[in-house]
Amino acid sequence: MTSEIVRFFSVQIALIAVVLILHTYIGLHIIRRTLIFSDLVLDQLAAFGAMAGIALGVEYGTFSSYLSSMVAVLLGALLLALIKPKSRAIPREAVIGIMYAMALVASLLLGDKLCGGGAYVTKTLAGSMLWVTWPLVSVTAVVYILILIFHFMFRRKFIDLAEKPDSVKSEKFWDFLLFVTQGIITVLIVPIAGVLLAYAFLMIPAAIAAMFTKKWAPAVVIGWSIGFIACLIGLCSSYYFNLPYGPSLVLSLGVFFIAAIIIRCLFPHNSSVSVKGAQ
Amino acid sequence: MLPIIQVLGLPFLACILMSSILGYLGTHVLKREVIFIDIALAQIAAVGSIAAHIAFKAHGDSALVYGCSLGCVLIAAAFYAFVRSRIIQISLEAVIGISYAIAAAAALFLVGIAPGGHMHIQHILSGSLLWAGWKQIITSLAVFSVIGVCFYLIRKPIAEISNDYQKDTAKDLRAVFWDFIFYVLLGVVITLSVQVGGIVVVFAFLIIPAIISATLTSRLGPQITIIWTSAILASLAGLLFAYYLDFSIGPVIALFLGIELVIVSIAVKLSHKSSAL
Repeated sequence: MTSEIVRFFSVQIALIAVVLILHTYIGLHIIRRTLIFSDLVLDQLAAFGAMAGIALGVEYGTFSSYLSSMVAVLLGALLLALIKPKSRAIPREAVIGIMYAMALVASLLLGDKLCGGGAYVTKTLAGSMLWVTWPLVSVTAVVYILILIFHFMFRRKFIDLAEKPDSVKSEKFWDFLLFVTQGIITVLIVPIAGVLLAYAFLMIPAAIAAMFTKKWAPAVVIGWSIGFIACLIGLCSSYYFNLPYGPSLVLSLGVFFIAAIIIRCLFPHNSSVSVKGAQ
Repeated sequence: MLPIIQVLGLPFLACILMSSILGYLGTHVLKREVIFIDIALAQIAAVGSIAAHIAFKAHGDSALVYGCSLGCVLIAAAFYAFVRSRIIQISLEAVIGISYAIAAAAALFLVGIAPGGHMHIQHILSGSLLWAGWKQIITSLAVFSVIGVCFYLIRKPIAEISNDYQKDTAKDLRAVFWDFIFYVLLGVVITLSVQVGGIVVVFAFLIIPAIISATLTSRLGPQITIIWTSAILASLAGLLFAYYLDFSIGPVIALFLGIELVIVSIAVKLSHKSSAL
């Protein structure tokens, strides 16, 4: 019985630790460039791809189902990179928001015509992280490490994209690559964690970190540590008090986020120095 | 002909009501670049109503449920208004986006504790526009008229704040106050519309007509005309399409709004190209 619990926790914690590094880093890009909706677009497209797979007779959670999600997500990444309003009156975020609405509409309409489609909409929202297994963790870990290496090699390009986009040549191409990596991790994580938890992994640690430092490396460290602690607390409380798994993790992350905002409100500017000093 | 009017008459009225006020609010939301606000406020209001169900065993649309939703929206509005000038290095949109995640998790959490709530989530997403009744229409008409008058009275300070929302100037309490009022009224409109139409259609009515009008003109008068025309056209097309091909109404209307936007932006691009030649 004890070994069962140990096994359960070690798989979960290993997965969260791996997932959080890349999510925090990509989340920082998304937050600093205010492309908040892009993650929901990709999440929703991954879900739509899986549902379209079901419509074509592919079983949920199999390799082909991942493949159809991947196709939908690649298409989404291409659109995200290409469609960019020139007018100052229209924020890019608004266009991305509409793409999200359209992806959601497509899923809902497909759900209308799919036998038991409504159940899939809810299923993709909640995920099934409780059934994580070692092979899944290893595949996810390998892909994540490959993407991490890729992002580390080309970090200058991506950071320039966020800080001084005018200086980057072929901006749309690098944008596309950013969204593709975001899409790949989305496809891997959404069937396990669900849309909501995946989104929270991406946004909350990065947002907390972004409030305290402008530098990239410390931000990833801060985001990862706070995110990991929050997830541990969420995981334990979900296990011991028998609370719903995904929502507990998101709420635990949310508590840390609100605490960070309160700290920021109480100490508006001077504390940024001391945080850097603590590094 | 008659059965169509019987079935689609009230939903069409509901669409016109919702889109007339949401379209105007959309222009402000666009200027402020807080696109997430609709989904976030709707989700927060939903948490309130789920909490009322669980804590007080309140029924469908009792006053208690609306009260709890409104309470949650008030808290959120105060939070957004207060926090805007105080967060650094991240945008208000990010904070709103995260508050959405937290609210959605809270909803799933409450639903997970008290089973039988899954229907609720599905319902919030796609809504039940087809079953709009006179009671809902009249309530919406009354509430939206009052809020519309409020917005007319306070149009100047609100427009002032919206126009330079991205600047860091607004740290005084006056701006916080007007922001609070804006988000509260927006929250009431969204909560009520989501009850009728579902999140998808409300989001589409809020953002898409505003963007269509912003691509065509920057003056407010013509913008409003464009917004209402596009919303009415999309509602009509969506209702007929859903009726004949048997789809959910809300998503189809959103789809037609999206199609309008694509057509308009392609037309604008082509006309720019031809004028450049």
